[in-house]
Amino acid sequence: MKKLFALFLVIAGLPALAQSDGLVVTYERTFFWSKVYEKLTFLSEEEKSRMKNSWGVNDEGWKSKGQLVASPGQSKYVELEEEADGGYRGRKSEYLVFRDFDKARKMELEEFAGKMLLIEDTLIAPKWKVMNKIKEIGGYMCMMAVSEDSIKGQKIEAWFANDLAYGSGPERYYGLPGMILEVDVNDGEMLLTAIKVEKKPVAELLALPKKIKGKKITTTEYEKMMTTHFRDSIKSRRNPYWAVRY
Amino acid sequence: MKKILLLAILCLTLSVAHAQTSGRFTLKGSTVDTAGVPLPESTVMLLTPKDSTLVNFARTAKDGTFEFKNVKRANYLIKITYVGYLPYQEAVKPKDDDVTDLGKIKMTFMDQVLYDVVIKAFRAPLSIRGDTIEYDPKAFKVQPGASVEDLIRRLPGLQVDQDGTIKAQGETVKRVTVDGKRFFGDDTKAATKNLPAEAISKVQVFNEKTEQSRITGVDDGKHEKTLNLQLKDSHKKGGFGKATLAAGTDKRLEGKINYNRFNEKNQFSVIGLGNNTNQGGMSWDDYQDFKGSQSFNWGDDGDFGFGGGVRYISFGGDDDESLTIQAGRGAQNRGFNKNWAGGANYNFDTKKTKFNTSYYYNQTTQDLDATARQTNFLTNSAFTKVDTNGRLNFNENHRGSLRFEKTIDSLNTLIVLSNMRIGSGTADYFSHQEFFRGAQDTTQLSNTSDQRNFSDFNSFALGNTAIFRHKFKKKGRNFAASLAYNVNNSEGTIDQKSTNRFFRTSETTPDSILNINQTNYTKSLRNQIKGSVLFIEPFAKKFVVETFYNYSLKSDDVDRDVFDINESGPVRNTNLSRYYRNISTYNRLGTSVRYSHNGLNIAAGVGAQQIHLDGKFSVDQNDAVRTNIDRKFFNFVPNVSLNFDLKQNRYLYGGYNVSVQEPNIRDLQPIVDNSNPLYIRVGNPNLVPTVNHSVNLGYNYFNPGSFIQMFFGAYYNYYDNQVIYSQRVSENLVTTTMAENISGGKNFNLYGNYGFPIVKTKSNFNINASYNRGNNLTNINGELNETKNNGYNWGARLDFTPSDKFTVYTNANWNITDTKYSISSGQNQKIINTNYGAEMNVKLPKDIYFNSRFSYNSYVNNRFGFDQKMPILNVSVFKTMLKSKKGEIRLSAFDLFNKNRGISQSAYQNFVSQEQVRTLARYFMLSFTYNMRGVAHSVRRKGFGY
Repeated sequence: MKKLFALFLVIAGLPALAQSDGLVVTYERTFFWSKVYEKLTFLSEEEKSRMKNSWGVNDEGWKSKGQLVASPGQSKYVELEEEADGGYRGRKSEYLVFRDFDKARKMELEEFAGKMLLIEDTLIAPKWKVMNKIKEIGGYMCMMAVSEDSIKGQKIEAWFANDLAYGSGPERYYGLPGMILEVDVNDGEMLLTAIKVEKKPVAELLALPKKIKGKKITTTEYEKMMTTHFRDSIKSRRNPYWAVRY
Repeated sequence: MKKILLLAILCLTLSVAHAQTSGRFTLKGSTVDTAGVPLPESTVMLLTPKDSTLVNFARTAKDGTFEFKNVKRANYLIKITYVGYLPYQEAVKPKDDDVTDLGKIKMTFMDQVLYDVVIKAFRAPLSIRGDTIEYDPKAFKVQPGASVEDLIRRLPGLQVDQDGTIKAQGETVKRVTVDGKRFFGDDTKAATKNLPAEAISKVQVFNEKTEQSRITGVDDGKHEKTLNLQLKDSHKKGGFGKATLAAGTDKRLEGKINYNRFNEKNQFSVIGLGNNTNQGGMSWDDYQDFKGSQSFNWGDDGDFGFGGGVRYISFGGDDDESLTIQAGRGAQNRGFNKNWAGGANYNFDTKKTKFNTSYYYNQTTQDLDATARQTNFLTNSAFTKVDTNGRLNFNENHRGSLRFEKTIDSLNTLIVLSNMRIGSGTADYFSHQEFFRGAQDTTQLSNTSDQRNFSDFNSFALGNTAIFRHKFKKKGRNFAASLAYNVNNSEGTIDQKSTNRFFRTSETTPDSILNINQTNYTKSLRNQIKGSVLFIEPFAKKFVVETFYNYSLKSDDVDRDVFDINESGPVRNTNLSRYYRNISTYNRLGTSVRYSHNGLNIAAGVGAQQIHLDGKFSVDQNDAVRTNIDRKFFNFVPNVSLNFDLKQNRYLYGGYNVSVQEPNIRDLQPIVDNSNPLYIRVGNPNLVPTVNHSVNLGYNYFNPGSFIQMFFGAYYNYYDNQVIYSQRVSENLVTTTMAENISGGKNFNLYGNYGFPIVKTKSNFNINASYNRGNNLTNINGELNETKNNGYNWGARLDFTPSDKFTVYTNANWNITDTKYSISSGQNQKIINTNYGAEMNVKLPKDIYFNSRFSYNSYVNNRFGFDQKMPILNVSVFKTMLKSKKGEIRLSAFDLFNKNRGISQSAYQNFVSQEQVRTLARYFMLSFTYNMRGVAHSVRRKGFGY
């Protein structure tokens, strides 16, 4: 708490400096496959409960890490490679979300059903509802806001820190008065939690890789592809989540 | 340019005019603390009062002021936060003027105590999502043991009448659900009076469509107040079960029942089954329902080695002797089998401790009649055996298991497991064999043999393993150690009787007759202690080095007493009686380096291993004459593996490894086993281990967008010092075999598969092809025979899934094996096996389904005039019934054409054989199933589709 007050003094005393500084937030992403299988309409109740009662009980979530670099005008989110734990190590998924708040533009690079997509479009923030709930994440007081993604059928719960005056957040989530430090999708199917918040200059870190390859599409086209993919996969009794980023 | 400017001015004027008429306004104010000092950089949010949607937000300036310009004229909710102060919230009603000034907004300082209270306990008493009001019971204190009704009394906006009727915002609550499901029908009080308040994590009140509009699908606009109680996970519990009973023609019966009860930490299940329809034990589905959370355990194998970092699921061996429950054996298509099985399982699961125990019993009675024909090729000659035999086998097993897993802390894990099996059985075997000179069974009869064997055995096996894993603070540095103790104890008696007639001069009167009447008692005891350690050390970010050491000490005590039964009684046969004790010590030390970065994993390593066999043989325990076999075998075993994720769902994988198989102790014993007078085995104490070099490479591709999938690959095996059984066939067609080492045996396989949708989601096509080539070496009468097999397989699959009411699945497979024998090229031959299959599913009205499966198999070997065709048609019609479709009644017909037999043919080493087995053919069956989880049917094949 004392730290908070010290921080408050710094912010109050040097607001201009605080603005020119940047923020680097590392998130841990936990994804629960067993919860997603519940949503596959082509499986019977028996098959779903069988999965839940066998390996679902031991599902501790599939963990990966991502990093957000934010300045007041821009932000960049990338997936981090998992640390070696002695055994086989999988490939990190290609993922980049770049936002330019000043120009109101975004650029997203994402693997989608075996293809690399490059979505370049104007920035349109999700519609947020700010709720009366508060909790502390990593020493920051966060408020809760909720939103919905009708394309992917997701109920989003985000916790943002007003003390961190950056309107950004991990992955596709942003547009709140403070930095989003936690996201909970569909009551725990996927969790994004800040595990490290660092304040430092970020100008260099915000630089984009020189080569960005991907099929250029718009947000509308992306949403249409997603809808088709979900419809065809379910019809063919396939798990649509195998091939796309949740 | 002028035009644009003009347009801009026009727009600006218009919008100003618009603002004036339709009412946009400016909202301003400033934030100060209780002493009146401005609070810069505080967050000001403008929300809609209806559902708190965020409209705009701003930060206060240095002097604490904020301003929202040009805001649509409406009521708002203003919410202000500032570090160390209580969040402030106020309803805003715009004044008639252009500017609404909220003045100085005083924020209340939050002291340490209050802050803690707010952070730890501040949960909004209610939150609103759409038309759902959600209460958090934690914010409303009730007495321990209070009912949900007591809790509801305290919730604002809810009231409970004298008779227990609940009203929400004045309206009567018509329905109470628990986790969204009805609780004891329409009695709203059943749940609220009976459930404890502490089991509830959320109370939700919302408007639900009426039952009628839900059934008809037409929203009649009427809504009922519904109260939903969300249970805490710790209070989730349930049960499911399934029972099937079936009876058919020919006294065919089937029954199966399982039940599983669980809550958050405990799972308990039972299963029982019995049938005389050749249905083996548990299916994979049954196994999963039975073992629950302990169905699949990673890292239970303590034999660390190459790739030790990769944990995999091990299920023990494939044979009947496995210590663990074997699932997914499927239907038995040999003979007539009666099966009984049953068991119970209990799991306890928490994050730190997992415990499992289970017991399972199974028995099988098998009645089997077979006719077999085998032609053996010798140097420029051949002989043919025709065998008619019958078997009556009984087998039973009791299996028990215990498993305990403790996560001591985030760095240390301990796993202890113990599996036990007690088995017994009998086998009654009788056979009439006729041997002919030549490749046909019509040429000269050489000898006949009538055999009758009866065996009776008991066995006990126990396997215990403890595995300890430690992670060091340095990420990636790991240590693991394992210790195992295994016992295998068995005892058996075999009575062997045979009459062997040898014909040389006449085909009707034998020249000589050999009668065998022996009793063979065998007792064997195996003890094994083994241990392994593994250490993994990362370096240079992308590399890890793995070092492992394995040790095993195995002792075998085998006592075999053979008696010739004469008229005067049993006489000990000292040629065949044997006592031996063999101690086998195994040591292996190895290391490998793994590179892993961005989807590329390459590992290369080498191990050095030594096997020491120390055996002592004698006629019996008291015999002072002991033969010693003391052999040491040392080998280097290299290992390379590759795994490459090439992106876009393309994967490349491959590897090279060397495995060493020590010689079987039975083959090493320098004795002559003539218990089958027509097939005599001779041991060879000079055997060395077989070294197998194997290489494989494969590629995999799947496109989830177009649903095209493809895979292909190749593998190759080469054997050094392969243990083969060389044959010497006498004039009387008595075969004497001896184990010998030969290098040069090899096999190669090439395979590929390609599938694509013809019409996406409605029709798929898949083709596959493979080629295999094998070179097998054997010594036949002192001459080296090389058998070359060339196998060609190809097939296609076509699926039609046009609608939810009709589907057809078809397939065709061809398999040709071309075999060439170097010692007898005249006997080269082709085996052709063909299979065509079709399945049709139809959904009829009233939940009636129709399923038919047709398969047509043909087995051809023209060289021997073997040509068998087997058309099989199975048909069933079934209907789901009862509430929630929990029941199913089914009428099935199996093998309508009454053609089912077990047919197999193969060509290997220096022989070619065909076998036909009598098995279950046409029968009709009526069955009923009750499934607590509902009987769901689809015309699509189960599980995940291609």
